[in-house]
Amino acid sequence: MKLSNILSRSILLPLLILVCGAGCVREDEYQNDLAGNFDALWQCMDRNYCFFNYKREVYGLDWDSVYAVYRPRINNQMTQQQFFEVCCDMLGELRDGHVNLYSSGDVGRNWSWREDYPANFNDSVHQLYLGTDYKIASGLKYRILEDNIAYVYYESFSSAIGDGNITAMMTELKTCNGMILDVRNNSGGNLTYATKLSGYFTNEKRLAGYIAHKNGPGHSDFSTPEPEYIEPANGLRWQKPVVVLTNRSCYSSTNTFVRNMKVCPQVTIMGDRTGGGSGMPFTSEMPNGWLVRFSACPMYDADMQQIEFGIEPDIPVSMNLEDLKKNKDTLIEAARSFLTQKFAE
Amino acid sequence: MIPTTNKITKPTVLKALCLWGLLLFVLPARAQTDLNRYTTHSTLFGIGHLNQMDTYLSPFEYEGLQGSIVHEKFRPTHWLDGRIVTQQKTEGYLGLSKNPAQSASAISGSLSYKIGWHYSWTLASSLRLFAGGGIQMLAGGVYNTRNGNNPAQALARTGLYASGIAAYPFHIRKQPFQIRYQIDLPFCGMMFSPNYNQSYYEIFTLGNYDHNIRFIHPGNAPTLYQSLTLDFPIKGFTFRVGYGCDIEQSRVNGIKNHSYRHSFLIGYVKDFYFLKRKENRHKNLPNF
Repeated sequence: MKLSNILSRSILLPLLILVCGAGCVREDEYQNDLAGNFDALWQCMDRNYCFFNYKREVYGLDWDSVYAVYRPRINNQMTQQQFFEVCCDMLGELRDGHVNLYSSGDVGRNWSWREDYPANFNDSVHQLYLGTDYKIASGLKYRILEDNIAYVYYESFSSAIGDGNITAMMTELKTCNGMILDVRNNSGGNLTYATKLSGYFTNEKRLAGYIAHKNGPGHSDFSTPEPEYIEPANGLRWQKPVVVLTNRSCYSSTNTFVRNMKVCPQVTIMGDRTGGGSGMPFTSEMPNGWLVRFSACPMYDADMQQIEFGIEPDIPVSMNLEDLKKNKDTLIEAARSFLTQKFAE
Repeated sequence: MIPTTNKITKPTVLKALCLWGLLLFVLPARAQTDLNRYTTHSTLFGIGHLNQMDTYLSPFEYEGLQGSIVHEKFRPTHWLDGRIVTQQKTEGYLGLSKNPAQSASAISGSLSYKIGWHYSWTLASSLRLFAGGGIQMLAGGVYNTRNGNNPAQALARTGLYASGIAAYPFHIRKQPFQIRYQIDLPFCGMMFSPNYNQSYYEIFTLGNYDHNIRFIHPGNAPTLYQSLTLDFPIKGFTFRVGYGCDIEQSRVNGIKNHSYRHSFLIGYVKDFYFLKRKENRHKNLPNF
């Protein structure tokens, strides 16, 4: 019975007491009423949103003050729609396109990153440049313009692209004097496609930026930023001058793509500042079931500078109304001139 | 802030995994040297309630249904005059649960393997007690059907557990019955976990390690498994019914996780008696 005593009394019983003592692993619960939902939403952002410190520096964001302003607006007489609007107004203080609130009937959003600025893009005129006989390699639409400049339009990083697509496109365009890579109105998608495509414009591994994540609920709890590199793609790579066309609707993964392209030597960024959105969004929810999205992992450029509010182009160019009247896209025309001149040099 | 005092380096993790692997390889091999023994196999099917939470995905407890299958092998060894028995348990479950507002679903599941060794002794009243421990490996995941960049959480853990069994055989109208209670208490091990808001893109695409293998113990991962079963005969076959309770919890890297499963179990039990093969006979027969 000695061994039994050792096993049962010395190990099992203390372990059982320890397990029971440690108790249940549970999360604080909020009431599923208006006040409870508001508090849950505020705390979800308070514990997880990654740009509080940066935005305090830029425009004085104080999340505690935001609570003090919006919490008194909650009362039991509100309708669900009114409550939704107050929640969206509170989230709007973050000025972040990656922050959304989803109810069954609406999506709360802040799209000021593009709505408050000139579009620098015109669908009808753009279609004239593409024509009808352009080629399509998965998400990439491309053609050769009259002055032997390649024109590539990538509308969304949600459209998948593979090495085969990019290689086929580059093979078709290899005799061109330069390439216009137009990512205007591309509001993001899959980050891996952005990284993959930028690998075709460098012959060596390059530091493109850094990425970190929150490692705790405090506003300053961040991991050590880790470098992000772009690796040269295997096989055919573009060696001639490239202009990347941008506008304020370049957001999220497109913002990261522009960041990556900026470190490639033969690439020039032209157009308007990008829209930003450098926080990788995560998702959570409220007691009433509404979904909330927020920036969780900040990304930086190669100089460890924030790119949440966009990336400046190397050459700023805006759409000219006179050009538009002549069915000309000022940005494409500027890029063509630039590339033709660059090729002549 | 996440404490960094118990930081585990990659070499330490590799060494520990190698040791684990060696133990798993050596101990069962030694236990199989005696062929003349009974082996009890049981297969149980379970259905019941699931309460699942992972704050990486959602701060709320998702509740729903889960189904499981448990296969167990129980056999005595020749160690300590046959007082040591080996138990192997393979268990899988699949669950579907919903958030409290019924607006989102999660699919969860895991597969676990346990091998344990128990010292047994019989009390005067024919009550048999077993106490011991073993090694467990578990892999699984939780998938939230509407999340964006954090749609799923991987579960992977391995470790040592202590175990106790009480079995009481009795007869009714000369028919054999048995009531059995078992409790397993994991007391140390390692588990995988992303850091607080670390994305899987960072871990697996970029290869950025940030305390993703953590040491676990009852303080940060209080976990227990218990079951109460009754074996009864019907027309020469032995059936088993019972209740299973699996409480898996962890609190690492600022992420809280739990899976509470309560199951009604039903299945069958089979006893095998292995005969020692006679040497040099039927040499041409295939070895199966």
